Amino acid sequence: MLIEKYADRIEKTFSKYPDKRSAVMPVLYIAQEEYGWLPDEAINEVADICDMDPTQVRSIAGFYTMYSEKPKGKYWLQVCTDLPCALRGADKFHKELKEYLGVEEGGTTDDGMFTVEHVMCLAACDKAPMLQCNFHYVENLDMDKMKALLDEWRAEAKEDK
Amino acid sequence: MSELVTIYIDGQPYEVPKGANLVDVAKFYADNGIPVFCYHPKMEPVGMCRMCLVELGTIMRDRDSGEVITGENGEPQVRWFPKLQTACTTTVTDGMVVRTNTDAVIEARDDMIEFLLTSHPLDCPICDKGGECPLQNLTMAHGPGRSVFYWEDKVRLAKHVPLGELIYLDRERCIQCARCTRFQDEIVGDDVLAFHERGRELQIITVSDPPFDTYFSGNTTDICPVGALTTADFRFEARPWELKDIASLDVYGPEGANISLSTRLDRDAGGIVIIKRVMPRQNEAVNEIWISDKTRFGHHHTRAAERLTKPKVRVGDRLVEAEWDHALEVIRKHIKPNVSVGAIAGPTLSNEDLWELRKLAQAVNAGAKLSIYPATMTGGDIIAQVGVGVGTNFKDMGSGTTIVVVASDIEEEAPIWYLRTKVAGDRGAKILVLNARETRLDHYAADSIRYDYGAAVSAVNDLAKHEAVTNAENLVLICGAEGMTLEQHGELMNACANLLVSTGHVGRPNNGLLAVWEGANVQGAFDVGFSTEATAEMMAKVPDLLFIAGCDPIGESAEAAGLSKAKFIVVNSLFDTPTTAVADVVLPSQSFAERDGTFTSGERRVQRFYPAQGVIGQSQTDWRIFASIRNGLNGSAVQRLTAGVFKELAGEIAAYEGLTYPALAVVERQFPDVGGDDLYYGGTAYQNNGGLGVQYPATSEAEGAKPSKFATKGKKTSYKGLTAIPVNRLYDRGYLFKYSDELMQQRIGEPFVVINPADAANIAGGSRVGVTIDGVQYEALAVVSEDAPKGFVLMPKRLTSQPGPFAPAAIETIEVIAEPVGA
Repeated sequence: MLIEKYADRIEKTFSKYPDKRSAVMPVLYIAQEEYGWLPDEAINEVADICDMDPTQVRSIAGFYTMYSEKPKGKYWLQVCTDLPCALRGADKFHKELKEYLGVEEGGTTDDGMFTVEHVMCLAACDKAPMLQCNFHYVENLDMDKMKALLDEWRAEAKEDK
Repeated sequence: MSELVTIYIDGQPYEVPKGANLVDVAKFYADNGIPVFCYHPKMEPVGMCRMCLVELGTIMRDRDSGEVITGENGEPQVRWFPKLQTACTTTVTDGMVVRTNTDAVIEARDDMIEFLLTSHPLDCPICDKGGECPLQNLTMAHGPGRSVFYWEDKVRLAKHVPLGELIYLDRERCIQCARCTRFQDEIVGDDVLAFHERGRELQIITVSDPPFDTYFSGNTTDICPVGALTTADFRFEARPWELKDIASLDVYGPEGANISLSTRLDRDAGGIVIIKRVMPRQNEAVNEIWISDKTRFGHHHTRAAERLTKPKVRVGDRLVEAEWDHALEVIRKHIKPNVSVGAIAGPTLSNEDLWELRKLAQAVNAGAKLSIYPATMTGGDIIAQVGVGVGTNFKDMGSGTTIVVVASDIEEEAPIWYLRTKVAGDRGAKILVLNARETRLDHYAADSIRYDYGAAVSAVNDLAKHEAVTNAENLVLICGAEGMTLEQHGELMNACANLLVSTGHVGRPNNGLLAVWEGANVQGAFDVGFSTEATAEMMAKVPDLLFIAGCDPIGESAEAAGLSKAKFIVVNSLFDTPTTAVADVVLPSQSFAERDGTFTSGERRVQRFYPAQGVIGQSQTDWRIFASIRNGLNGSAVQRLTAGVFKELAGEIAAYEGLTYPALAVVERQFPDVGGDDLYYGGTAYQNNGGLGVQYPATSEAEGAKPSKFATKGKKTSYKGLTAIPVNRLYDRGYLFKYSDELMQQRIGEPFVVINPADAANIAGGSRVGVTIDGVQYEALAVVSEDAPKGFVLMPKRLTSQPGPFAPAAIETIEVIAEPVGA
């Protein structure tokens, strides 16, 4: 249960807003962190926490692209492929990354580790190719660096277990 | 009246109220229908559909002198907005100039329709909305008749998505106007519909459990400008142009909701005219354009297979069918001088029925007891004295008004009042909720005051010092009877009346008392001379001859079992019930749909309803049955027409003096103009052509009236041990609603009781329990929740076929019969 596990964080979030309802978006992020995406279970919990109808919470999750309504890998890799990045080779990098991991656009590796998708501008054109991994920026990439990072994350995940 | 300003629409000047919405104003004053999809006169504008684009400008004035600047030809100069503006998000100001028929506007409408149709399916021939569809109509009026888009690119989505049991969603037809989501959010407050995704992916969803759980879901199908939302009840039943609309009234609640019965000759119903659907009929003072789902979908009893078609007469221990003449003869034989007589009138008898029942009972014995069932509430005479003033309209209530709801869960007991109270609260009215437990209205309340069951009277007395009451310009009290005996409710009504009189909130509009009567015409019954006290007296001393009409006391109320001891019982009924089972003569009466008459609402508005459905079998109107019995009795003349009965009644009941059928049928133009051909504007609710009804004045409204004092003993009742509190639920298995079709049966659900966790030591939520009261065991599903106050068990009335208690009752034991499934 989110409300028990993240009691402090939720309480702190509430203190920033006039009412519980207004805190729904940060609480959704907490839920997404916990579940990896937003299953109905998470939506219902958030609805309870924020004293809203689950339909309204689902509606918010549907409107914003940073909430995921489909299961994602442990590491959610979003590669920017807009024009300035593409000029610096981001589209090629995106294609190679997918081939290396053996996934389609938006797909997840069989071991459930990585999800790759392209996104619109992340405002880091000067450091392209770049991606965000679970909303943290990783910049000035090429495939060699990427492979090393992937191994690092794999090892990290193993340790977590 | 608000300040008037001058605006110019297509060159013509109009005097209109300042700050009004441009679409409303153009429609009402200029008869200029600016086309809209998302805008609805009952909701806040959002400007989403862009259909209402117009050219907008203001007359130029000199900054310093304020003089109107004129051009060379002496005409005032207009400063136009550079682009088209949405009329629906525009409020009118002085000197506003609007053009609604220029090339730019026509082109814009043309384009909007073209865009909407890029993905709208062309399944009008099988669409329930076809024939009364705003998109269809506006396409004919403003559409381009061609498209530059590829039809192959159209979005394809699910077409039969059930949103709950009552409403179907066709995702392809949705044009994303958000009227349904806004209705649920702004007006009802059950925000169980929402948009999901965005852009071309945008869809309506409900993930609430149970889905689309609200008592007002049917209204979304009225305001849907396309066939995206349709009711399961009317799905594929008929085409709108085949239907004939008959003005009628809700038979379930005290609000007097105006409805329109859409009827058609029907082969499947044996070639008679039947109700195909129930729609709201606009009455801005009563229900505006909304009705509850019970009103909308609860019409199936009128032609249920169980309807009685012939009179029955007791032969030995059996009831056998008989001819009318024989049945009436049998009754007359049992009418002897000085026989004691009682009459029990159900809450759906019309004023005319009640009048004839009274005349019959008094013709037999002048001291006849005239009683009302259910005998849970009293004080019809108090309403006649200090009821809300003539002209009271929830729509006019806002800042400065305080609405107090006492001892009632009005969402369950009077959903239209709930809706209108909630919306008045949104406009700034203060809502006070006094109850022993939490109800849905608490959510919108400025203050919720809890009392213990048995102490409602002192809670009301204490209100005199409440800031929301002392500061109120207008004060309305809505009084229920939850957790009370008849006597306690009498005390409470007195306390409420006392508060209103002592604070001076009587005798004028938007002030006074409302009682949440259990039924459509309880006020009428009180007015005609019936009372609930008589019921109690009758239970104590059962009369020899008993007339029961329009109710099933023995089947519903545990307290009524003793009635079967009467020597001779005549029952007018639509169905075979436990009450007819003990009768000596059973007479088949007609439902509201087959006949005409009048009901008096809780606001004392006398309203007419008209015959719509073909007569089932040999059933007769209740008043005619009583008149026939009386006619043969002493040869006294009887009326031949319902209007005649009403005229006679109005001549003798002081409050109804001067009321006539033509007066009740008068209609006038209402704002906003809903219905007619402009379906796109207000939805498919019907225009009122059957009459707005007449609210008769309370005696406190008379010139120089000094309302009498209402005394209360202020006695508190305290309950020891676990006590059952019977509560009302909107969907129940009461006399009429029990015979709904399967659709509503699912919504009624199984019987349950609500137990406080502190009292539910060894009872798990979800288990089946047996609650024993007065030696009788009631089986129900246990819900363990704080909704029930400690020491009390909430027991909804009329959920089983077993008669239950109607007043608080001591619980002897609660035992678990079966553990929860899956535990």
